Amino acid sequence: MKFDGQTLAGNTGFKVGKKVLLVVVLLLLALLPMFPNSAYLVSTVTLIMIYMALGQMWNLLGGYAGLLSLGMQAFIGIGGYSLAVFSIDAGLNIFVAVFLGGVISVLFGLVVSPALFKMTGVYFAIGTWVVAEALMIFFSNWSVVDYAKGIMIRSVYFLTGEQIYYIAVLLGVISVLVVYLLMRSKTGLALMAIRDNPAAAESMGVKIFSTKLKCYMIACFFTGITGGVAYINLAYITPSASISTQWTIAMTFMVIIGGIGTMEGPIIGSIIYVALTQYLYNFPGISMTILGAIAVAAIMVVPNGIMGTIHNKTGFELLSPRRIMPPDWKKLLGVERAKEQVEAAGDKASKKE
Amino acid sequence: MNEILSAKDIGISFGSNEVLKSVNLALNHNEVLGIIGPNGAGKTVLLNILCGILTPTKGSVIFEGQDITHQKITERCRIGFGRTFQVPRPFEKMTVLENIMVGSVFGAGLTEKQAKKKAMEIASFIGLDHRLTWFAGKLGLLERKRLEIGRALSTDPKVLLLDEVGGGLTETEVGSIIDLVKKVKANGLSVIWIEHIIRTMLEGTDRILLLANGTDVICGLPQEVMQSKEVREVYMGNEDK
Repeated sequence: MKFDGQTLAGNTGFKVGKKVLLVVVLLLLALLPMFPNSAYLVSTVTLIMIYMALGQMWNLLGGYAGLLSLGMQAFIGIGGYSLAVFSIDAGLNIFVAVFLGGVISVLFGLVVSPALFKMTGVYFAIGTWVVAEALMIFFSNWSVVDYAKGIMIRSVYFLTGEQIYYIAVLLGVISVLVVYLLMRSKTGLALMAIRDNPAAAESMGVKIFSTKLKCYMIACFFTGITGGVAYINLAYITPSASISTQWTIAMTFMVIIGGIGTMEGPIIGSIIYVALTQYLYNFPGISMTILGAIAVAAIMVVPNGIMGTIHNKTGFELLSPRRIMPPDWKKLLGVERAKEQVEAAGDKASKKE
Repeated sequence: MNEILSAKDIGISFGSNEVLKSVNLALNHNEVLGIIGPNGAGKTVLLNILCGILTPTKGSVIFEGQDITHQKITERCRIGFGRTFQVPRPFEKMTVLENIMVGSVFGAGLTEKQAKKKAMEIASFIGLDHRLTWFAGKLGLLERKRLEIGRALSTDPKVLLLDEVGGGLTETEVGSIIDLVKKVKANGLSVIWIEHIIRTMLEGTDRILLLANGTDVICGLPQEVMQSKEVREVYMGNEDK
């Protein structure tokens, strides 16, 4: 690792190599459906993108804001049902319906957050879970959504697998971009401080409630939108499946395995989760047990998740929220101190080697 | 009036436990006021009341002539309070630069660009400019204590509240903390400093207040207070009994 005077805490500069990698990945995603015999891969990547978007939002809450939610499935249900009801009953364009799902998710989040934010830690987790369960029961007894019978979302039948794929890719990329930009903003600085020590952050002027609320609203909106996209793909929705803890299990699994509090964690986690679930279809009945065992084993081996461990060992971050030194840092520090920085960096790098 | 901060008849109870009965103190402009007292005397609770973490059950906190008793901690941070914690609470997964930036952005209201430069100045002031890009979690105890002071300074405070910043340090390290507090005072700040280490109180403060059994017992010049009958009684017991 060669120190460039920017940071010892990680590769924060958006270097050429990283840019090339990102462009290659985006190009591959764009061209994937054009490859021969890629239908299965396209449907798998569609799922990865949907789960990645969900993972990013869960990570934003759990990994950065300290809000361990077990109830994000509520917003998937709202998103899915908004798509179904607005596109079928109201005859709206499906994309408008999906967007409305995001808006309603935010409104629902605003209604429940004053009560939920009075709780912390495990109580917050249980509170969010209870809200989601209550919503599921409400939907199961609500005539507007045809009770618990479920709705065939006929309005999305005209979409091809390829089109759904591109919608999912767009969603996945936007979700990463939103979290990245948020973490690079002032709010991101506050979120990282809250994550590390809320009491100290508050004593330094960080408004905990409003920062968490902002974060929660963003997560509600995008989880709602993702719920809509997920049900564009699934085309059939019931309360028990859409507002199911299964979604939260998936989000938790992806983020913990991938690396909680890292932006790359949900990306890696979603790939692993989807690949595993696809493979575990071969083991009906015990697939969830195997998945759970893998999660426990992974937590024991890499407690910080894959990206957390890589970052701790190498300092590597693909999408870093780190603040780098100002361009004129050497001048500001003075020659001697700047030299010490570089020497200290060299020592650390040589120890790693 | 030379007072920047005063506490009048402060009392607080947690359930049936009356931690502070009646505390009065006055901090003058550009003064370092030391607070001593045995464990459990309520020193940290008093500091938490002054900075807004706790609201007293009685009494008032006056800052620059304004009653701020019911102001929240974030508001007090913005009007000019900076504090350190007894056990350092760095943002461990953030760099030293970012740690200090947080206070400059949210406490002092600077832009991120301005906050970076400010953070570098503060890091230089506290002697951590060679650690700017280190994760705070990797710092040793003395560096963590320095960072605590740096983060408190980053909010651009008028009053600095220090909670045992010398605790757990070696003699030499304590000396460097005393020098740092003197530098802070030389920059025009007022400081309240809670500490158990006698040397810090004698060398680093202008006055000392003795807190015991939830009340202020005596306040005066460091040497006078340290040699007073009250300090002997509080720490050693009453010789006449």
